[in-house]
Amino acid sequence: MRDKLPLGLLILMGVLGLTSRFIPHPVGEGMNAYLRDTLLRIISAFALILGLGNLLLRHTHKLEHKEPGWPHSIALIAGFVVTAVIGLLGGVSGEGPLPTAIGSFKFDITTIYNRVLIPLGATMFSLLAFYMASAAYRSFRAKSWLAALLLISAFVVMLGQVPLGGQISPIIPQISQWIMEVPNTAAKRGIELGITLGVLATTLKILAGIERSWLGSSK
Amino acid sequence: MRSMLICCVLLLVGPAWLAANAQSPDAAGVPPPLPFTAPTQVVAKDTPSDGGHAITIEWAAVPGVDHYRIERQGEDGDFAEVTTAGRLETSAEDSGVENDIPYRYRVVAVGPAGEEGVSSETAPAMSGPQWFNLELLGVAIAIVAFVALVSWYIRRARRGDDLFVRRIAGLEAVDEAVGRATEMGRSVLYIPGTGYISDIGTIASLNLLSEIAKRTAEYGTPINVPNRDPVVFTVAREVVKGAYAAAGRPDAFNPESVYFVVENGLAYAAAVSGIMVREKPATNFLMGPFYAESLILAETGAMTGAIQIAGTDSTSQLPFFIVACDYTLIGEELYAASAYLSREPLMLGALKGQDMGKLFFMVLLTVGTLLALATGLDVRWILSTSGY
Amino acid sequence: MNWAKLTQIDRRIIFITVGLAILIPLIFPIRMPVGTQRVTKHLFQAVEEIDPQEQVLLLSCDYAPQTEAENQPMTVAVLRHCFARRLPVLINALYVEGAPLLDLAMHQVMDEFNAHAKANADSILYGRDVVYLGWQPPPIVPILSMGRSIKGIYPVDYYLTPMDSLPLMTGVHNYDQVGLVLAITPLASPLWYVMYARTKFGVKVGAGCTAVCAPDFYPYCRSGQLLGMMAGMKGAAEYEELVENEYHPGGRRRATEGMASQSAAHLLMMFFVIIGNIAYFSTRRKS
Repeated sequence: MRDKLPLGLLILMGVLGLTSRFIPHPVGEGMNAYLRDTLLRIISAFALILGLGNLLLRHTHKLEHKEPGWPHSIALIAGFVVTAVIGLLGGVSGEGPLPTAIGSFKFDITTIYNRVLIPLGATMFSLLAFYMASAAYRSFRAKSWLAALLLISAFVVMLGQVPLGGQISPIIPQISQWIMEVPNTAAKRGIELGITLGVLATTLKILAGIERSWLGSSK
Repeated sequence: MRSMLICCVLLLVGPAWLAANAQSPDAAGVPPPLPFTAPTQVVAKDTPSDGGHAITIEWAAVPGVDHYRIERQGEDGDFAEVTTAGRLETSAEDSGVENDIPYRYRVVAVGPAGEEGVSSETAPAMSGPQWFNLELLGVAIAIVAFVALVSWYIRRARRGDDLFVRRIAGLEAVDEAVGRATEMGRSVLYIPGTGYISDIGTIASLNLLSEIAKRTAEYGTPINVPNRDPVVFTVAREVVKGAYAAAGRPDAFNPESVYFVVENGLAYAAAVSGIMVREKPATNFLMGPFYAESLILAETGAMTGAIQIAGTDSTSQLPFFIVACDYTLIGEELYAASAYLSREPLMLGALKGQDMGKLFFMVLLTVGTLLALATGLDVRWILSTSGY
Repeated sequence: MNWAKLTQIDRRIIFITVGLAILIPLIFPIRMPVGTQRVTKHLFQAVEEIDPQEQVLLLSCDYAPQTEAENQPMTVAVLRHCFARRLPVLINALYVEGAPLLDLAMHQVMDEFNAHAKANADSILYGRDVVYLGWQPPPIVPILSMGRSIKGIYPVDYYLTPMDSLPLMTGVHNYDQVGLVLAITPLASPLWYVMYARTKFGVKVGAGCTAVCAPDFYPYCRSGQLLGMMAGMKGAAEYEELVENEYHPGGRRRATEGMASQSAAHLLMMFFVIIGNIAYFSTRRKS
């Protein structure tokens, strides 16, 4: 029963979702719209609650048992509670019942977003530039003529994707454009075709009940 | 003399009288439009493959036209404009009609100077919904054919037929990688991607996790599985627990080895990077869908000296894995991983069916390209979807 | 020279050098002509061809603060283009973390235009010239539902104002009134629009994406499924230049300002690759 009920539900929803795509009749459209506009949104909302609940459970457990790294859990829970309270009670820009300013120092949710979340997110993403340089230095070796060809293409594209390339020679951006539009497109199409067929096969296996790993079973 | 006088009067007055009568239809003095060629072969019919409430009107092109005006007959018998069409168009759709009610149409060709040519009325047409979208017929046939192909190969695999699967270097190295961690007395770190459970790549990754967890259970090697998504975390925990039970080592399973970290991708990358630097696992598996955080994970792992095997269907992240990891499974090789390692007939059969499907599409593309080059025909209708 | 040492440069030196290469051109700005790719010109042309009296542009964004540096200038440039043409714009967010960023972009560009306006007719008014639809999860729901009714999926806007009270929404019902969907993303939302909205409802789609995702979208540009694309920060700089050359709206061009840093970083990366290869081949020859 533990496996059969979710499996039955999966097959029913899969068949409904697939067939409604081919049925333009209002019955099919209505079913599709109900699955999409109602059911899917309810599931998304509960997934959000599940995520939050899991996060808090995990870190309170860490605190209780003083596992390694527990001070970071305090920071996480404190940040979570403070942001949630300010967001729920302080209004979007400080117009809620909870005061979110001390003099000219504001800490409403918009300020927290603009002054904390945006810089933090941008900082984390900017690490990629440094890691890319480190990876490029460590790994980009012309060990064969194919690898050398790849390196030369990479250089041309890197120059073509910045204004400097056009300044060095107008032909560099043109070659770069050609590399992106022709060989890259051909390779991408091949990989995507394979991936799409793989997705289709895996989806069919899931709908047919052959693939059951998502049930948490190793069978 | 008198007859000459009468002729002069007629010659002078006659044309003026005729012109005045031809150009004054009503008291307001608005001249009717000059005549223009009327559209012919005007047909109104129910718009096919839709949910109703639409009628398509078609006509033969009129040379020199500026645009067309499509008019529908109302209950009072008069025709009123419902839509217009450009000079190159020969069809239009009226999507404001009720089902099962007959409507008549006419098409007015409007010339460059405003002259009009009015077609005759069409026969009555009624709209109604259809049960099947014929424009997706090609897609439906392709899906049915693909299902049949996969099913046939699964049957062959179940019968015991030997199905060849080519060597995949990254998967051949799995045993060696887990063995390395065992010898060094360090753990295996398995990152099941940063996608959701609805992503097929995540499902494929969890399949592979099951195989790898069986090996770590057999060898007694610790495994560490941090997760980015709470739903994936709950499934991953069950998968690892089941793998340990299948390997005959249920007591060795540590529930704390599979855990949820944080939902934000880059924050997850920061947390896992910290795990890599502190715990220094000997082997890292990065399998599943990844986004921007892939390079941070792969490069940090490379810095710690771990052997890394990666696999993703996120094509934009493949270059980073290829650069920073020892082995990379590209695209569908990730989906093939569980079949490759487990050698289960169902999995192998599905894999072969998928490969044959790809061969079919390759042949279709080649034939279609050659046909189009040789004849100039548009062959895209073979796999039509609306709006290709 | 001991080439072997060159294979073992401390990563911290690499990181510091990259940091300086990016920082110095920002402190001492260097402007260089940007040039324009074909795909960016096509996108610009696609926006130019929308009739402001008949249709609107739907700007659909699913980026977050992480990719704000690349995607936000795209949003700002497109809004400047639309406001300069008096082309009505609908904005929606497909990802909740990015929703406030769109609000910021919209108000920034509105303030730029209204600073020069002399009367209401010249101004950009919220509700008449632009509407922010807000965020509805999951992404697939608004993409498909807007084909039937935009107000059905967004009964109120981002500021909780009823849609029926907004003048712009009087004549806008679904994709039939949308001349182009321009999806700005670090993920794959343009492809979701191509797969679902374009095939089912026939709406035209354009894209603005981070540089790492751009190779994924070139096949769709080649086949015409995407009318055009802004690829990375360079694509944003190109679009900024096209808009400035055509309409002169003014305003800070952040993507263009970043081009010198990007050029320096690319040159530095090429330098490290060359050094690494020289060292590698020298040590290999010796051994």
